Amino acid sequence: MAVDFFSFLGLPRKLNLDAADLERRYRTLSREFHPDYFYNAPAAERRASLERSSYLNDAYRTLRQPVTRVEYLLGLEGVGPGSTEDAAQKVPPALLEEVFTLNEELDAVRQLRASGAPGSEWRPRLESAREPIEAKRVEHESQLSALSARWDALVDANAPATERVRVLEALRERVLERNYINNLLATITRELGSANQEP
Amino acid sequence: MSRVVGIDLGTTNSLVAYVKDGAPVVIRDRSGDGLVPSIVSVDAAGTVFVGREAQRRLTTEPARTVYSVKRFMGKGLEDVAGEAGRFPFRVAGAPGGIVRIGLGEQEFTPPEISAFILRELKRRAEEFFAAQGDVDPQVDRAVVTVPAYFNDAQRTATKDAGRIAGLEVLRIVNEPTAASLAYGLDKRHTGVIAVYDFGGGTFDISILRVEDGVFQVLSTNGDTHLGGDDIDQLLMDWALSNSSGASGFSPTSAHAVQHLRRAVIQAKWDLSDREETSLDVSAIDPEHPSRSITRAELEAIIRPIVDRTLGPCRQALADAGLEPAQIDEVVLVGGSTRIPLVRRLVGELFGRTPHSELNPDEVVALGAAVQADILVTGNRELLLLDVTPLSLGIETMGGVMSKIISRNSTIPATGSEMFTTFADNQTAVDIHVLQGERELVADNRSLARFRLRGIPPMPAGLARVLVQFQIDANGILSVTARELRTEIEQTIEVKPSYGLTDDEVERMLLDSFEHAEADFAARLLIEARNEAETVIQATEKSLRSPGVADIARTEFAPGERDRIDQALADLKGVLAGTDREALQERTRVLNEATRHLAEVMMNRSVQIALAGKSVDSM
Repeated sequence: MAVDFFSFLGLPRKLNLDAADLERRYRTLSREFHPDYFYNAPAAERRASLERSSYLNDAYRTLRQPVTRVEYLLGLEGVGPGSTEDAAQKVPPALLEEVFTLNEELDAVRQLRASGAPGSEWRPRLESAREPIEAKRVEHESQLSALSARWDALVDANAPATERVRVLEALRERVLERNYINNLLATITRELGSANQEP
Repeated sequence: MSRVVGIDLGTTNSLVAYVKDGAPVVIRDRSGDGLVPSIVSVDAAGTVFVGREAQRRLTTEPARTVYSVKRFMGKGLEDVAGEAGRFPFRVAGAPGGIVRIGLGEQEFTPPEISAFILRELKRRAEEFFAAQGDVDPQVDRAVVTVPAYFNDAQRTATKDAGRIAGLEVLRIVNEPTAASLAYGLDKRHTGVIAVYDFGGGTFDISILRVEDGVFQVLSTNGDTHLGGDDIDQLLMDWALSNSSGASGFSPTSAHAVQHLRRAVIQAKWDLSDREETSLDVSAIDPEHPSRSITRAELEAIIRPIVDRTLGPCRQALADAGLEPAQIDEVVLVGGSTRIPLVRRLVGELFGRTPHSELNPDEVVALGAAVQADILVTGNRELLLLDVTPLSLGIETMGGVMSKIISRNSTIPATGSEMFTTFADNQTAVDIHVLQGERELVADNRSLARFRLRGIPPMPAGLARVLVQFQIDANGILSVTARELRTEIEQTIEVKPSYGLTDDEVERMLLDSFEHAEADFAARLLIEARNEAETVIQATEKSLRSPGVADIARTEFAPGERDRIDQALADLKGVLAGTDREALQERTRVLNEATRHLAEVMMNRSVQIALAGKSVDSM
């Protein structure tokens, strides 16, 4: 079996890929191995078909989304995501300020709620606490896509490993920050949500 | 080769269909009726009635007649505690165990009841094929549909039902997906379809993209406990609370319940094309045996049920990343979509008039027949790519579910996660397999528990236990756990907590044979021989293929070709005999010997397929 998702689909290890081309490759290969076409085949072929179509589906699902594509590439190139889980617990240095402000706001809101304040008093505070985080998210998306383009250029130029690693490390940092930002946004949404259930 | 049929095993009605000259058709009885009511009745002498005959016994023998058995498939007694009392038949079983249905003195599991229905469909198809002069009218293989939102236990129960009925279930297909296949046949179009499937007991919504003959499910959602049955129940409650002479009358008799049920269903049907009708309430109010009901009244009563279908529709859209306006077509499936209120609300949600050209009762069976035809002929023009409706995972520390495969992943799919021991010298790890979307274990469906043993004593955190999930094309899960330092491995076909063991299924299959063990043994021998012939043919085909000399030179280990030839000759040597065990063993050996060859050939076909692709795209 092929060694990784990119080569399995006959694609270079690049981050900007043509979605329509990916779809076509996916459909072509699905027609090649889907278990539906191996019902009359002996066990060995049935098993090979099941393994390959599972792998194909996993590959397609991973490469289709830009985020999972980057994470997969990082793992493939050996700069993560092994430690991302531990790293996700720590506050990325670039976000210290935002996180500090947000936590203060959250504490204040929780106190207000505990003292029985109506939603109209703290709800807007949560909403406005979300804004700077949301702005960070947008900023990160564009940084990620710029870095992705740089990676692709390095692949095309067959650039030396040292240069590649620098870009990969930068990508990894952005991905970790972005995951952290998403967690923050989810926390705010949760706070707003639990607020809805209160009388 | 015998026929392969498509079966819609419905809550209210079941159907069987096959493909004739490239087009699917429903198999009907002599009077032209395609529907077999999903009703089974067993009389005091043990005679079993299925379909219309059993339906007639609903009112005469209510305690011995079971309907809507699909609602109990893959369920434990605790799951159905809330509604068990509403049925005129006995819902029993041991706490923590599978539901059993008592009909008179006998008890049956839901798969056994479903097997009676499947056997009736099988018989109907065989009679039909015999009547049209088929050389081999026997039907022993089928594609069977299930609600898209059925969980692993419910799917496995359906497969077991097929086995008990003497049918090999080649494939479990999701009902909305099957329906889309029937709809998409003549219109080789490209677009996004929403299939709204509201049947007797279940509700499904599936969103698919159709392109180039590939029907790819993007998302699915639903409620396996929401359907026409619930509408009927609301109408019955309404009739009871509105009957004027009901003082002192307690409608607990099974007869009265069934009479009233039949009456409200008739009124529901009437109001699909009339504004007003009369409801027969003689069963509960003999003094005022009839009252009128308007469509507006009906709609007010059932609105909460219909509203409950809209949430899953919005969730499915969100999961597919689509807005309602991006849906090109909406297809209605299931008898409950005949209700004008349903059509109106679905039309409003998606902003377009839904399709209903095909009979909503038949379209699922037609699609199942198309899928059966694909499996048998290997025709690669059409392909269904379905998804798993619910996330699968295992329990981790603190009673939290860790997801290994997310909902709406295209199947087949795999997933894995690494775990470790949390105590020093821990020699076993418990694996608790779960299905559902909630964070806490207690809020999800427990599918199975098993224990990986034999881990050598070592400090906490050092063991590396890899848990791997594999979902097959039927949406059925198997789990492997392996300790990587010692290579201790355990694989389980996830036999659901509320399921039957393989032995139980085999015993029920045996029980179901009228002609006892001799027939059963003969049948198993035929199955073994068929499997052997399949492997022989495939091996010979591979060995004849033009690339094989090259493969043998570049890829084979020394002696590999000889091993294949020897295994092939050995198996051929016993093919004509009656020794089933020898057949099975030598089939296994040949399979093993050709496994590497099969892998290599498949990898080459990938390269060829992709090479063809890159030429095209230039």
